[in-house]
Amino acid sequence: MEEDDLILRSKEGDLDAFNQLVEKYQRQVYNLALRMLGKAPAAEDATQEALLSAFKGIGGFRGGNFRAWLLRITANACRDQMRFWRRRPAVSLDALVLEPEADRGAQSPEDYALRRELGDEIAKALAALPADQRLAVILYDIEGLSYEEIAQVMNSSLGTVRSRLSRGRVRLRLYLEQRMELLP
Amino acid sequence: MLSPYIDHQLTSSEQGLVEAHLERCQACQRELESLRAVVNLVHRVPSVSPPRSFTIAEAVPKRRAAPVAVFSAATSGAVLLLERRVASLAVLSAATAGAVLLLAFFFVSDALNLFASEVPVGVEERLGEAGLLAEPSPDMAGGAPDLAEAGYETVENWPFWQLEVAFSALVVILGAVTLIWWLKRRKVTERG
Repeated sequence: MEEDDLILRSKEGDLDAFNQLVEKYQRQVYNLALRMLGKAPAAEDATQEALLSAFKGIGGFRGGNFRAWLLRITANACRDQMRFWRRRPAVSLDALVLEPEADRGAQSPEDYALRRELGDEIAKALAALPADQRLAVILYDIEGLSYEEIAQVMNSSLGTVRSRLSRGRVRLRLYLEQRMELLP
Repeated sequence: MLSPYIDHQLTSSEQGLVEAHLERCQACQRELESLRAVVNLVHRVPSVSPPRSFTIAEAVPKRRAAPVAVFSAATSGAVLLLERRVASLAVLSAATAGAVLLLAFFFVSDALNLFASEVPVGVEERLGEAGLLAEPSPDMAGGAPDLAEAGYETVENWPFWQLEVAFSALVVILGAVTLIWWLKRRKVTERG
């Protein structure tokens, strides 16, 4: 069934139709939450919260890019999670490092270990970025959204997206240069 | 300019300017190379499978106008309680709805005198004469009153005035907290 039909039926309260949208986008929603928050339990909470909020609020979706709309809700749910964790000093966000849980698939143990290490380092570098820059980098460089889609997710101009992405990448470069031998 | 240059997001004139500068600036060439390496590294971050399916198993009530939402939240509270993240809001909404219902009940009962007793005027004095009260009223020394003349008076068995004030305050407080919470949750879908 076409996405537009699923959205229309979801607006009428059809849970099955909405769940088909969930199945289509949950991986991307979860990955965005995981990269933003750096911890699987927090990412699970944010994903669940975002998808529930999306279902409750889908009546307010006025057409356009559904993925961008859903990821905007996810980004907001992540902000709520960040506030939640910040209020609990025993487990600060600084301590939340991306868990190395990449799909093992058919990788060799060496490849898997290398990707785990790479994932850890990049996760730490991402965690060091301000949230807006982190979001821009994740959406463009990891999730593969266009500048226009990111502008919709962030509810900002293309210039702002460009600037946040640019500053985020520069910070990432400085962070990784200090810690890794991977950069020229 | 180097980051959008990598992404081919510059206009052709901007791109020309950057390329002309890069030809004569080794520092910027190195920075471009370094930025490209970062971007390539980040591209290699693996996608992770969600640990479980996030499909919604229970019917979640859709958002309606605020007053309806309060009552719908109350009636579907049992379902919502299963959802950890909304349990507190559901409980709060249900409590508010309960307080509103009780307050309405008290007002109606008060207006209709549902829990009031019709007591003949002077009944205390008569009881006193019969020796059932320790000290009969001194006014009644002249004998039993004529009930037909005296009529009846209404005596409230429940302290309605205090209950109404207390529950009005409770409704206002619970309603305000629920509304604030509800608006906060609403922002998740509408905030940008």
